[in-house]
Amino acid sequence: MSVISPPKPRRAPEVPREPRRIAFRQRAGRWDVKLSPYLYISPFFLLFAVTGLFPLAYTAYVSVHDWHLIGGQGAFVGMQNFVDVVQQPRFLTALRNTFSIFLLSSVPQVLAAIGIAAVLDANLRARTFWRMGVLLPYVVAPVAVSLIFSKLFADQSGLINAVLATVDLGPIRWHADPLSSHVAIASMVNFRWTGYNTLIFLAAMQAVPRDLYEAAVIDGASRLRQFFSITVPMLRPTIIFIVITATIGGLQIFDEPRMFDQLGQGGSDRQWMTVTMYLYELGWGAQKSFGRAAAVAWILFLIIVVIGLINFAITRRISSSGSTRGGKR
Amino acid sequence: MRKTTSKTWALMAGATGIALLATACGGGDTEADAGEGSSTGGSGDEQITLTVATFNEFGYEELLDEYEELNPNITVEHKKAATSDEARDNLNTRLAAGSGLSDIEAVEVDWLSELMQYSDMFVDLSDPEVEDRWLEWKTAAATTEDGTLIGYGTDIGPEAVCYRSDLFAAAGLPTDREEVAALLEGDWDHYFEVGKQFVANSDAAWFDSAGATYQGMINQVENAYEEDDGTVIGIDHDTVKDIYGDVLTASVDDELSAHLLQWSDDWAAGFQSGAFATQLCPGWMLGVIEGNAAGVTGWDVADVFPGGGGNWGGSYLTVPAQSEHPEEAKALAAWLTAPEQQVKAFQSKGTFPSQVEALDSPELLGTTEEFFNNAPTGEILAKRAEAITATPFKGPNYFPIHTTVSDALTRVDVDQTDDAASSWEKALDAYESLGLS
Amino acid sequence: MTSIPMIQQTAGAGAARSAARRRGLARGANRRPGWVTYAVLGAVLLISAYPLYYAVLLASSDAITIAQNPIPSLLPEGNLFTNIGRVIASDIQFWPAMWNSIVVATVTAFSVVVFSTLAGFSFSKLRFRGRGPLLVFVIATMAVPTQLGIVPLFIVMAELDLTGKLAAVIIPGMVTAFGVFWMTQYLEEALPYELIEAARVDGCSMIRTFWHVAMPAARPAAAMLALFTFVGSWTNFFWPFIVLGAGNPTLPVALQLLQASYFKDYSLIMAGVVASTIPLVLVFIVAGRQLVTGIMQGAVKG
Repeated sequence: MSVISPPKPRRAPEVPREPRRIAFRQRAGRWDVKLSPYLYISPFFLLFAVTGLFPLAYTAYVSVHDWHLIGGQGAFVGMQNFVDVVQQPRFLTALRNTFSIFLLSSVPQVLAAIGIAAVLDANLRARTFWRMGVLLPYVVAPVAVSLIFSKLFADQSGLINAVLATVDLGPIRWHADPLSSHVAIASMVNFRWTGYNTLIFLAAMQAVPRDLYEAAVIDGASRLRQFFSITVPMLRPTIIFIVITATIGGLQIFDEPRMFDQLGQGGSDRQWMTVTMYLYELGWGAQKSFGRAAAVAWILFLIIVVIGLINFAITRRISSSGSTRGGKR
Repeated sequence: MRKTTSKTWALMAGATGIALLATACGGGDTEADAGEGSSTGGSGDEQITLTVATFNEFGYEELLDEYEELNPNITVEHKKAATSDEARDNLNTRLAAGSGLSDIEAVEVDWLSELMQYSDMFVDLSDPEVEDRWLEWKTAAATTEDGTLIGYGTDIGPEAVCYRSDLFAAAGLPTDREEVAALLEGDWDHYFEVGKQFVANSDAAWFDSAGATYQGMINQVENAYEEDDGTVIGIDHDTVKDIYGDVLTASVDDELSAHLLQWSDDWAAGFQSGAFATQLCPGWMLGVIEGNAAGVTGWDVADVFPGGGGNWGGSYLTVPAQSEHPEEAKALAAWLTAPEQQVKAFQSKGTFPSQVEALDSPELLGTTEEFFNNAPTGEILAKRAEAITATPFKGPNYFPIHTTVSDALTRVDVDQTDDAASSWEKALDAYESLGLS
Repeated sequence: MTSIPMIQQTAGAGAARSAARRRGLARGANRRPGWVTYAVLGAVLLISAYPLYYAVLLASSDAITIAQNPIPSLLPEGNLFTNIGRVIASDIQFWPAMWNSIVVATVTAFSVVVFSTLAGFSFSKLRFRGRGPLLVFVIATMAVPTQLGIVPLFIVMAELDLTGKLAAVIIPGMVTAFGVFWMTQYLEEALPYELIEAARVDGCSMIRTFWHVAMPAARPAAAMLALFTFVGSWTNFFWPFIVLGAGNPTLPVALQLLQASYFKDYSLIMAGVVASTIPLVLVFIVAGRQLVTGIMQGAVKG
């Protein structure tokens, strides 16, 4: 068996691939070829059927009923729960907060991650040390992160405002002011996840064939040009992966804002209540309207899918336009 | 002791395609019989495991060991949650799923009200033997209209006033706890008046927050948000509006509040920096102050509460109907909430007993707290418990409604993003969206 | 994997070749970066490490000192081991919880890697009807808000009679949409068709092709996925708390009980944080080298 595989020709994506896939018709049984793909993905779907599909269907069923968390199923109400929820001012507040925190966390996070990864991809001394150091925050449990940061961000007794005071700044009203509270929450998220995304980018960068860079160097491309013409297009699957997972995770943000104060309801004016917190408050809070909570869950699901698709389209466009440029070189 | 029901087996057999399993477990479709058969017996030598779910500090650790010794056939498993919120999430999830609850579930009075309407999910614990065990209002809150008792009272939170005698002295107020009691004796206006006198001569505030003060005041109103039959009154009426206005005038205009949201990190730090001089103080608050104010001297507790007596907090032990051993669970709950045991819990963790007899117990009355200048806390709290007269009605909608007002207070007092009027408008909106009226 | 020397040789050879190439590259195009780079990295590292260091500072202090000084000292005080001792000695079942966490995290990490690589191989390199839609479906499942799944999932676990048992935490995490997506995206780029074809020509069955070709190529991504999954399940709180409770806890569930007293003793709580993080840091140090070399071998395809 040989691993000699010449450097991949720069190819227009997708097109030449198709015939290759058909090429798998060797002596091995047809069934092996036909069934294996399904067999290999089956563990996920089997498990999903038990732990995912039922909850999903259950939620859908609940969302069209008048359903008290404890009291259980009531009358069928059709879309009424959805209508009720959308009309609540609090729902709009929650949407605003979620998007604000999402933008404040995911955008800087992805940009920082790709930047740091590019730096780490260089020929550094003590590589292992730097790489592990960057990932360090990820080992701190979210609960612990919240505990630590809630002490750092305390309005009067917190470290950050204390430090700001020494240079005659602040105090910043971390809890009262909506934007400040979003920044504080986003910084918890960024703290824990930037290093994680950095390493994912780094792994992908290492997989980029070095020959491409050599060729680029010969052609006299600058480092920056190399980055945008080779690295970014080659990272496309990874960028798509990170953008989609960050979108999903970001729009579902729950733990950090919930633990940002001791009441866990998102502030006195719900200034940092996110959609999942709203969902939780509807279902588990005082009202215990499981039906409305389920409706919010489905609305959120649809929003995530739409935003995810938009992000996917944008990301694909950006990185493939880069790829074309690279190809034309 | 958990039985694997035949239903589960069938499910697994179906999933794995091994039909033979069905014969392996014999019994047929007698799941229900098996479940009940083992539970109602109650007597005899059968080994039984009871699970008890509590949260925070109940002081039950040693008591449960003692119970196991007294009842060799019973093993008790103690499941503890850190906070009452976590315990509530857990309880609600399991009630919604219809399984997985412990044989005894501790329930705080704050969320008892939302469970009362589902009393059929709990075992009726009423029993002539324990009928007069608790203070009347304690039992009343856990009794449904048709007389079902869903929980045995554990502790209560009779409120006194904790104060910093050193700050009092510096501001020219008396420091001795009897004199302070005499000084503060009266209604809330009087309490605020003394506060104004204090802040005029001190850098510290008079109390921690508007929210905590409102809590103390509204807990003396019989029907703040709901009528006794559960009819919603709401917040847009004079009783609530007056208290709201008074508290905010005192907190903001008269600068009596330290603007610290209760339980926040800033609040905890406020005990160290001496941010406020008094704290409304149910029995369990003593432990909170002692922890947060560690190293601070001067805290004391006075046998007085503005506007008469008041209760804040306290819990119940319930037996969910799901329990496989309801009789044994009931027996354990009855034993744990007997006066003797609750006095021990008080000595261990300071949870003040809700049992009539316990209030006369020499052990309880003899308890003093070194941190609070050796105050006879047992005696003071017992007197405060007797002073409780008003028992606020808390129906299923009490807490959603209450939250709309407490949020409004926080916006003005702590966040300072609104004034009293604009914040009240927001409270009305929030109340409106509850869809209760 | 050890039973198939052929693979290791191939992977080893490929890695060696690519490493050699890179070394050559280092001499030419990729010079060692200057001090600015190190300064930037130093700053990043400082920010990354400080909050954890802050936890160590609190854990090595005592309740009164912490309460009196909102700004901690720069150097740890001497109580770290005393406080960790208090955590272990308290009645939170520290060691059983630690063992539970090890079991859950190890089993989950292993199973996620195997099943995700399997599915990722299939999605990225095999052709079958419904491939695109199924992949989209997998990704879409991630968008379901988890908070709402709790009640139905609890019902499922109760039906299977698993509440309170470790299996209730392990099973839902045995293969994740995240893992499948991750492996698909990685193998898409990192596994050349030529390799698969070669294996097929040599008469390998599909599963052998997977094992001999896809697995080695997936190693760097698998190492990271394993680490991420391990850490993720080690630090997971809410679902274990709901389904296991304090009767049979994992470490975060047990440690939460340190907050069950009347006030937050930060020295004790943070000692718990430190005690639960130390094993992860150890895993990190041990796996770190493997992980980084794994990443370096990422260019098997050269």
